[in-house]
Amino acid sequence: MSSATVAASSRAPGRGPNRIGQVFRSDGFARFASYVFLLVLWQLLSLYEERFPPPAEVFGFLWTEVTGGSHGGVVRGEFWEHFAATLPRFTIGIAISMLLGVLTGVLIGGSKAAEALLKDTLLMLVALPAIIWAFLTQMWLGLGDYAVVITTFLSAFPFVAVNVVQGIQAVPRDLRRMSGAFHIAGYRRLRHLLLPAVAGYLFAGLRFAVIIGWNAVLLGEWFSSSEGVGWRSRYWYDANRYQGFVAWVVAFIAFIVLLDRLVLVRLQRRAFRWRDAQLSDMERQADEIDVGVTGA
Amino acid sequence: MSGIPAAPAVRAEERLSLATRRRVRGVAGFVVGVGGFLVIWALLSRFVFGEFTLPPPAEVGRIMWEILVTGEFFQQFVPTILRLAYGFGLALLIGFPIGYLMGTSRWWRAFFHDMVMVAGSIPGVTYAVLALVVLGISIWGPVLSVGLVAMPYVAINVAEGLDSVDRKLVQMSDTFGRGRATIVRNVQVPSVAPFAFAGVRLSFALAWKVEQLTEVFGSSSGIGFQIRHEFEDFSIPGMLAWVLLFIVFMILLERFVLTRLERHLFRWRPEDRP
Repeated sequence: MSSATVAASSRAPGRGPNRIGQVFRSDGFARFASYVFLLVLWQLLSLYEERFPPPAEVFGFLWTEVTGGSHGGVVRGEFWEHFAATLPRFTIGIAISMLLGVLTGVLIGGSKAAEALLKDTLLMLVALPAIIWAFLTQMWLGLGDYAVVITTFLSAFPFVAVNVVQGIQAVPRDLRRMSGAFHIAGYRRLRHLLLPAVAGYLFAGLRFAVIIGWNAVLLGEWFSSSEGVGWRSRYWYDANRYQGFVAWVVAFIAFIVLLDRLVLVRLQRRAFRWRDAQLSDMERQADEIDVGVTGA
Repeated sequence: MSGIPAAPAVRAEERLSLATRRRVRGVAGFVVGVGGFLVIWALLSRFVFGEFTLPPPAEVGRIMWEILVTGEFFQQFVPTILRLAYGFGLALLIGFPIGYLMGTSRWWRAFFHDMVMVAGSIPGVTYAVLALVVLGISIWGPVLSVGLVAMPYVAINVAEGLDSVDRKLVQMSDTFGRGRATIVRNVQVPSVAPFAFAGVRLSFALAWKVEQLTEVFGSSSGIGFQIRHEFEDFSIPGMLAWVLLFIVFMILLERFVLTRLERHLFRWRPEDRP
């Protein structure tokens, strides 16, 4: 946090030194207020548009779905079995995209000829929306696991490759030359020069693969599956039970946000410590979300 | 001595040839890159997948040409691009004040922190179908999803930009008795505008992907609708033709319009020029 921002907030008028005021001014209260604000906004939206279900209905539905209660009649809640169907597809898709992405990235980053020949193809793949892969794989393979897994890794791997290329190009040239001049052994060069430089980019690549792959797996299941979380949300959508669809949207967002904020961002931050130590909080956060879009 | 005046002339000539050489190299790189893309595609189509599964570039190219010359492309491209523009307008309208609050007050920063951070990892398909649920099949669905996708990037970049506003300039304005409104209008907003635009450019690629998706789900015109139409006709070449044309136009737009506009907005502070 910069000094200017702090100064601006402490200069704000009309704020006494009492303790209640302090509670209201705290960051924790601000975050709490933001969630209350979102819920109120959601409630108002549902009043305005009756197709859009209010929060209470959605969380009630989610609860029935998670606990396997009755949705009225014989239709019972299903939750964990769909996550159990989706997670293997997602994990395999991400694993293949990491493998393929690292191979492509090393090829393009390591050779000038490969870069000239393949870079534009890679940019084209980055620009291709996941929906195209979802449609193509459905037409190629019909319903089933393959279509979903292939949609996931085809959508995610170009982002891994772009990051690996950047990581390789970010290895300081001076250090590379110096280690050559001092005859540093290949293993030590890998351990102390290449890996630390590339690791951050690799984790950044993993992060995008996960975020983009999650969207792709949902799309793949929406169009070419008969089980899994994406299919289940479509099931409620097609049944015109929008509270069911929105309940699943809440679950999708909760899943990816927990994975991203609790695991991936921390890994990325740790691996980039050497580079970002000078940055302010604001710059680092801006980088983290900016980077998500460009895949850079 | 004649050698001294001659030297700069030689150097200028060298510089000229260097620029030409660079341009030639740029064109050659482009030809090799696009050629590489087409060759890889043709080989995959011929030997790996078969021409039915992955139609060869010539066939897709023919359809692209047809779509272009019949004027059908522009008929669909115009609504898509207009929605994108409206969506970014919405993103700026909401994102700018949020970014301003985040950049100037610690409380508001904490307030918006989670929303802005979380927004980047929300899957695009949820925006697309939610827009459909809330708005039905309408032109405002894509606008809303573009706005929601781009808004956090605008906000965080504005907040970051405010951090970099020349403090001495603000202090001086304060010393000379300018009111807060004047400072905001004449110092802070002009310094931050380019950062808001940077947010637009950064989120551009993501935003048009989500827009396509929204059009696939709930629209009756636009490129995404055409892609869905071809999918329902089971026409792989038609689908590829639409999406490739769109990508080419979007990349051209990004390279030649947005990037230049951004450089133009940032021209007074060369240290931040992208």
